[in-house]
Amino acid sequence: SNQNKRRNRSAASDSTMGGSQTHNGDEEEGFRGAAEQQVEGNPFTFSPQLLRLHRDHELFEDGDVFRHMYLQDLFISEAEEQPAPSVSEFGCHISGCRAVFSTLHEYEHHYNSLHRHVCCSCRRSLPSARLLDIHIQEWHDSLFTILAQKQDMYLCLVEGCGQKFRTSQQRKDHLIRLHKYPPDFRFDKSRKEKGTREASREQRTDTAVEAADDVCRSEGVCEVMCGVESNQLEQEESMETHASSEEAAQSEDFSASAQTPETNTERLKPRYSYRVPKTVCFGHGSVRGFRGQRGRRK
Amino acid sequence: MWRLNKVRHKAGGHANSLEELRTKRREKERALRQARRDRQLVSKRLLLNEDEEQDTMEVAPGEQDVVTLFQILQHGGTEKEAFLRPLSKALRNPSAQLTFIKLENSMHLLVGLLTGSDARCRLQAVRCLHELSHSPHTSVASACLPATPYLLTYLSGQSTKFTELCLYTLGNICPDSERVKERLLAQGIIPALAGCIQNHRHNLAVVEAAGFALFQLLQSNDAAQKVIPTVLASSLPSQLLSVLTPDPDFGLAPAIECAWCLHSLTSSSEDHRELLAQGALRQCCSLLVSLGGAVADGNTDQGLELLVCPLLRCVGNLLSPCPAEALHSQLGGVDLVAPLCELVVALLHTLPALAKETAWVLNNLTAHSTESCSALLTLNLVPRLLELLPFSQGINTMVLRVLANVAHKKKEFCVRLAELGLLSALTATLKMADQNVVTLSLEVLFMIIVSCPQMAEQFVSQGGLSVLEAIQYNSDGEVRRRATYLLEQHILTEK
Repeated sequence: SNQNKRRNRSAASDSTMGGSQTHNGDEEEGFRGAAEQQVEGNPFTFSPQLLRLHRDHELFEDGDVFRHMYLQDLFISEAEEQPAPSVSEFGCHISGCRAVFSTLHEYEHHYNSLHRHVCCSCRRSLPSARLLDIHIQEWHDSLFTILAQKQDMYLCLVEGCGQKFRTSQQRKDHLIRLHKYPPDFRFDKSRKEKGTREASREQRTDTAVEAADDVCRSEGVCEVMCGVESNQLEQEESMETHASSEEAAQSEDFSASAQTPETNTERLKPRYSYRVPKTVCFGHGSVRGFRGQRGRRK
Repeated sequence: MWRLNKVRHKAGGHANSLEELRTKRREKERALRQARRDRQLVSKRLLLNEDEEQDTMEVAPGEQDVVTLFQILQHGGTEKEAFLRPLSKALRNPSAQLTFIKLENSMHLLVGLLTGSDARCRLQAVRCLHELSHSPHTSVASACLPATPYLLTYLSGQSTKFTELCLYTLGNICPDSERVKERLLAQGIIPALAGCIQNHRHNLAVVEAAGFALFQLLQSNDAAQKVIPTVLASSLPSQLLSVLTPDPDFGLAPAIECAWCLHSLTSSSEDHRELLAQGALRQCCSLLVSLGGAVADGNTDQGLELLVCPLLRCVGNLLSPCPAEALHSQLGGVDLVAPLCELVVALLHTLPALAKETAWVLNNLTAHSTESCSALLTLNLVPRLLELLPFSQGINTMVLRVLANVAHKKKEFCVRLAELGLLSALTATLKMADQNVVTLSLEVLFMIIVSCPQMAEQFVSQGGLSVLEAIQYNSDGEVRRRATYLLEQHILTEK
């Protein structure tokens, strides 16, 4: 018979006295009758539960304290004495990212900035889908590398321009000369370049790469970069000052050819915004990949 | 008798004492919370003399006076009452209490005076015992055991002030030790209380005191086995119910005590047949509706929530999973859905803890009643429920359960809920940090989308896709599985 029907355990864990009471399946076109419940592997388990609460249940704590304050002559009913209701925080879902926010806007901003257009292979966060596509192509596509030896493959970052260049350096020159990008705009991640800001970002780059290697060595788990709020903020600021359009803003990840692109055996399907491969594994490997890197990296 | 307005006077003191009062109250609150977590939550009450002001507790004389007074009293003479009064005042001091019970024959003396022929001495003797019963030291309660059979006997007497004192004394000592409680049960405290309320039915001060004593008895950890069956078999249930409706002149206090007794009965024991047969559910519901209406109207009658709270709990625990028609008749035709919704909203900013309990009752009401769910929709209550979803500490999880109950009943309900804005509310709740909220939100979303596949499109157009994708990376496996299943089986296949 139907396992899902029998489970009758709602996801929230309230304690009930006398167990949950479930209605017999003679309801009308209620949910229970839906063919959906019969499907194997359906993880949804909700069924209405009548919650009988024992007097010691924690839900009763506040009311009991109230009652005893009254018994001990310490009761006050004035509104100013009562605490205001607390509002739920919003929390970033990405495992390992502990960020919480008090408004939806902050959540959205965080998510869109850090997790939205993230390269699955190296977990760098890009500001837009287009730049992510370009990044993946230039960094993680072996075919690109091969073709780039013979043709102009490096696409101008400004949308609509469409020009292509043989090297990323040429593209950079083009962006500076034609599109008036500032020369110190961070689109070059070559290790030779200095500047303290660059150096610290270099380090981040290195560790990010290490992490990526680690992940690649595990069962192909895909995780996104996280916990770098403060660093990302730096990035954001610089992007804001330089960018005139969304496409113009970019992270430091558009590299010189010094970086050897990692070969990625899996073909990434452009279906989700994360470019998650179909064969994703949410196992222990994902945790391992991030050990020692959670939280803020200074 | 407790007059709540007396507490107000206390609060109206000058600034310093007000601040001290606040601090004292906060500390007390913390202590009570901890005591509850340790399952040690017990309070005592002290009935003051008429001539005493509540907030000017006299500085008790030192221990020496207790010894001296006892010696004088021991040596006989006819002026005993003159020495009993100061003794009772002296016994307000906790260390004096300890000293007194250690004196040989001290209890014997008091019992003798308690049962003697001098009525004024009896009154003073019971006052001494009452002071002793209020002691924070649990050993004092055991020391009072010789007096208990007499205290119980006097419950069927006629003297009201005297009876009140006996009742509060008994109520104070019974939670202090197993031995005391068992002795009292054996001595017939339950029939004595039943008889007492019956005899003094029109004296609400005594009824309040009896309610308190019963409440204390019901707090013991094994009450379900040792106390409650006997209580249910007595006339106490019907008496408690008869006191529930507050008397406009006397005030809420007796109703408060009786309601808390009823809550103790319904929440410690699963056997509700007797109470249901007496019409407890019906009565609690109708009273809840009228009181709840007063609260929602902003009636600041102090202490109303002290009565609303146990009533809510009784209703919540008495609701049973019977079919819709039976439920309706059990409730006596009282429509609870609208008043409860109003009450949640009204309590949200003044007493959020009570708002949470109200939402719990709504859950129990809607769990197996299609009629109640339908009422939520037709009475246009869903938008108000949606407004509660930002609030944490149990409120939004319970409200989501209610909405899930509604969605679970019929496909049409799912569609209606979506039309009323539930989908966009879910795109917000799915982003909350509380995993329970996220899980419940996913369950509700699932039900809506399965009932009406077009809702998938609507959800996506409201920006729901990205949050589901994000949830696939959540650290909780249950949550991830649901999001993935929903995406793969129902949302992305539509595209």
